Amino acid sequence: MKYVACLLALVALAAMVPMLVQLDGETAIIFSFIGLPAVGLALAAYVLARWREGAFHINAPSPGDSARSIAPRP
Amino acid sequence: MDATGPLFAGPPAAHGIHWLAVLAILVGIAAAVLLLWGLIRGRLPTSLQAAAVLLPVAAYGLATVHMMEGSKNPAFCGSCHVMTPILKSLQGNDESLASIHYTRGLVPHESACFTCHSGYGIWGGINAKMAGFMHMVRTLTGWYTLPIALNGPFDINSCLGCHAFAPSFRAVEAHQDPDLQKQLLAREISCTGACHPAAHPEAALTGGSAS
Repeated sequence: MKYVACLLALVALAAMVPMLVQLDGETAIIFSFIGLPAVGLALAAYVLARWREGAFHINAPSPGDSARSIAPRP
Repeated sequence: MDATGPLFAGPPAAHGIHWLAVLAILVGIAAAVLLLWGLIRGRLPTSLQAAAVLLPVAAYGLATVHMMEGSKNPAFCGSCHVMTPILKSLQGNDESLASIHYTRGLVPHESACFTCHSGYGIWGGINAKMAGFMHMVRTLTGWYTLPIALNGPFDINSCLGCHAFAPSFRAVEAHQDPDLQKQLLAREISCTGACHPAAHPEAALTGGSAS
């Protein structure tokens, strides 16, 4: 998945360069309709890959843990 | 008359690649190096993974700002086939209202189309950018008919933003007529047509083909 994200990001960067060198309707369309979706998909693919690796998971305490934490000390 | 002297070339900032584009290219190169490194080696050190994610996003952010700013230039508008005749008419001094404004320097040359078509105020600029995005969609899909026409009534505030406080505008007897003022502000009539020449000549709205 990260491999795909890398490839998509490179495609996006390749679509960006012509627009930066010469801004006209054609390069702006390539940038907007190929580059922007590609960079968005690359980001989504990377986040998905990291999610599968266990990142971004919220380790919320169980109800029992929270009950213990607020219980008055003896 | 020699019109090729450096005085007629405009300010230096109007030429060459904009600094924002250079910055976006530099950030993009750094991103590409990291991404290629990751592709070739199979993985990136964790410390560089965040950079490999953030640098392309940063490059795209800078490039988007550059595109937003650069797309105000009439050359950008005229680069699509359907708009090319309008740009030529603008520069050709054909006595259309847009040409009069452009050739006499009454609107900034680097943002002439945007000045009149963006409406007044910050929302005018935002609406113009959204309309510009739809122009790209329509150009890409061929989803338009000739002759092209303005989508909705022209925002008279674009005119009034400059003219309303000009003594020469206020001195015109017709402009002082209360009925005319009401009709104009209610968008019932337009500045062009009966009183002033059309904004663009009819021939230029056909995208270069015969109407």
